[in-house]
Amino acid sequence: MNVAQQFANGIIIGHAYALVAVGWTLLLGAARLVNFGHGQMYMMGAFVAWWLMSATGLPYAAAVPLAVLVGALLGALMQRLFLRLTLSQDLVNLMIATLGFGQILQGAAGLAFGAKPERLTSPLQAITLGGARVSCSAQDVLLVGATIVVFLGLHWVLRRSRFGAAVRMVAEDPPLAALYGLRVAPVYLAIFAFEGAAVAFAATLVAPRTPILTSIGFEQVVMTFVVVVLGGIGSVGGSYVAGLLLGLYTAFFSALVSPAYTTASVFALLIVVMVVRPGKLAASGGFAR
Amino acid sequence: MSRFPAARLAGVAALALLGFLLPRLLGGSAHVYDTLTTIAIFSAMSYGLDIILSDLGEISLAHTAFFATGAYAAAILVVNYGESAWVGLAGAVIAALALALVLGLITLRTREFAFSLVTYAAAVVCMNIAANWDFLGGSDGIVGIPPLALTLGRFSFVAGRPAQFWPVAYLLLLFVLYVVARFRRSRLGQAALMVHMNPRLAAMCGLDANQVRLHVFLVSAPISALAGWLYAFQRAYVGTDLFDTYFLVLMLTGVILAGRRLLLGPLFGTALLLGQKNFASLGAYGDALVLGTVLVGVLCLCPRGLASLWRRRAIPGPEAPSLPGGPVSG
Amino acid sequence: MSGRLEIRDLRVAYDRAIAVSVDHLGVAPGTLATVIGANGAGKSTLINAIANWSRAAPRLSGAITVDGEDFSRVSACDRARRGVVLVPEGRGVFMGLTVEENLRAGVGAARGAGGRAYALAEIYDLFPRLYERRRNVGAALSGGERQMLAIARALRMAPRLLLLDEPSIGLAPRLVALLLATIRTLVDGGLTVLLVEQNVVAALEVTDVLYLLERGRLIAGGTVAAMRDDPRIIASYLGGGHG
Repeated sequence: MNVAQQFANGIIIGHAYALVAVGWTLLLGAARLVNFGHGQMYMMGAFVAWWLMSATGLPYAAAVPLAVLVGALLGALMQRLFLRLTLSQDLVNLMIATLGFGQILQGAAGLAFGAKPERLTSPLQAITLGGARVSCSAQDVLLVGATIVVFLGLHWVLRRSRFGAAVRMVAEDPPLAALYGLRVAPVYLAIFAFEGAAVAFAATLVAPRTPILTSIGFEQVVMTFVVVVLGGIGSVGGSYVAGLLLGLYTAFFSALVSPAYTTASVFALLIVVMVVRPGKLAASGGFAR
Repeated sequence: MSRFPAARLAGVAALALLGFLLPRLLGGSAHVYDTLTTIAIFSAMSYGLDIILSDLGEISLAHTAFFATGAYAAAILVVNYGESAWVGLAGAVIAALALALVLGLITLRTREFAFSLVTYAAAVVCMNIAANWDFLGGSDGIVGIPPLALTLGRFSFVAGRPAQFWPVAYLLLLFVLYVVARFRRSRLGQAALMVHMNPRLAAMCGLDANQVRLHVFLVSAPISALAGWLYAFQRAYVGTDLFDTYFLVLMLTGVILAGRRLLLGPLFGTALLLGQKNFASLGAYGDALVLGTVLVGVLCLCPRGLASLWRRRAIPGPEAPSLPGGPVSG
Repeated sequence: MSGRLEIRDLRVAYDRAIAVSVDHLGVAPGTLATVIGANGAGKSTLINAIANWSRAAPRLSGAITVDGEDFSRVSACDRARRGVVLVPEGRGVFMGLTVEENLRAGVGAARGAGGRAYALAEIYDLFPRLYERRRNVGAALSGGERQMLAIARALRMAPRLLLLDEPSIGLAPRLVALLLATIRTLVDGGLTVLLVEQNVVAALEVTDVLYLLERGRLIAGGTVAAMRDDPRIIASYLGGGHG
């Protein structure tokens, strides 16, 4: 086994996990919403970019921002649908509703894009960097760089900006936020739009690594759960670290044991963490740290 | 009605008989039999989830795994080991109980979304294992399940055609309905409701919430597994598509569509959804779209289900009964 | 001077039970009015209703005007933006925001609220302790510091009418006296305040007008001089070793 190469793979996959999870981390921390449609939103982001490129001939660089825009609109649509449930913090019904939303996306994607596996191609995927011992594609470098930028940016916005303070207020106590004269609904709208945009962005960067199917959402979302839970519910910095560690873990697990049972072993890891640190699964305590 | 147990019993029996004759009343074609059998199977599956969702107030997303466990256990025992359908039935129940025990212990201390996340992840992991483990047929699944043959002493019954399947599916549904109705009146059912509605009071009454949750989980899993057992014979094939979110969303929608804690609610919901799928299908993707839309629509427009539209009186909902003068402080 | 509050026929109900029923209550501009009453009399319900705010979901009816403007259908958020600022009982500041973030949070929303907006420097003059703690998060503050911060952030929102729900709760007697004295200073500077208090002895020292609430109804009201000798007040709040 080439340890250095696996290490590099782990770092790349880890950044992919973290980037896919970042929108949901914010959503969970700020709105206490578990989005079971997250995997389908990921799938949508990848397919919208693919469709834009294959049907209209747009270059990858133009398809990415457009797919992100569509993702943001999907997030906003979700918020409009779920506003009443979100404001009343009807968490049980919200969770089921997000499953339904994912089902809608999957059905719609099946109708629009068909059942065949497709490939989202990025020109950067073909460019190989590095030497004989360790190599990666330019797309991987872009992915890692973009993930770091997104996390640093989100951290800055949450800690330093007026809007970030508003998000933290809504996360902590929406009724009290109203007494500060803060309108809660637009903040929720922004959070949902960010979730949609972030997962679509992640999809356009990560999906070129593997073929895409309209049914990938079901499994895709599990790694995101684990990142969010291991990182400490709603913790942005924690998600980054958890994503990275999980990436390294899966890279070495699939190299040393078996790639087929990676998901199962990650689940086992999750359970070990739950048994050792049950408090990790409690409701948000360390939001935006 | 409870003052006239005999009249009530006669009413239930008449209703049960009417239900049994329903496919014949609807024309008796193979398609009708097939649809009603599927409705019976999937509503039985939904009842497994119903008692978790309605009575315990948690969302288990692992019930597709229990359903699949029942189907896989039956298929393996009957196809690979040549056992009878009865052994398959026992195997389905035992396998589901074992899985439920493991999952129940793992999720014992998780609540709300953590519980749902872990059960969802568990379903994905089960699918992963089924797709990769040759013992479970791998990605090909298990094919060639023979017609359902049930032998009781000298009496034997073989169900190959849809019309022959119907009595078994219908009996299974009646049995599940009976179990759920009994559960709701049992001590465990009452305890589950109290743990759900008023955990503090439950604790004061000496109820161990974790134990109640585990027990309810153990009651619920075999119900879905029974449905899986029969589904394996109906389809003559089991595969990883049993874990599809479609089944999960179908169960959830079936439970929520009519309204929670209504005995016939999941049956009604499942019948509506499968009626659309079998008689007015828009293709697999179109049906998925319809299903998702129905679920989101119900939750956004009337989260207490369709029954709440004409039954305005207070249905025991998810919120705890307010204590006198509770919110009034100062 | 502004902040004249008029309430007519206010009813607040939870489920089917009417918790508060007040036919008339008024607060004159630049004065401090205090509503006293026993635990459970509905004091918090009353003052929350004036802000149209609650953590439960009560049904409200009645007319509320501030400086002649009809506020009856204005949301809690917009009342805060238009100068009717409530400091709720208990959790009144954000634990995850620093003192300074708490003090900056509502300011943008309250432009044009109509009252006097206190600058940050004025707040720090008024509450020097908050200046020392300005980089600490709400969760790190003591009960007294949190209460100061809750009032301070309300002052930042240019209140015409400041609604204070039991600011003394959980504070040491020395702090209570200090806090109420500070509030009195603000009123003398022109602020209109409606205070809800259980600590009657302390409240009597600073208030102008006193209302007595019992089982959701105002059963007495008047200037503090007149009410001080009211037998119901003496019996319930000042006699029997409570004084």
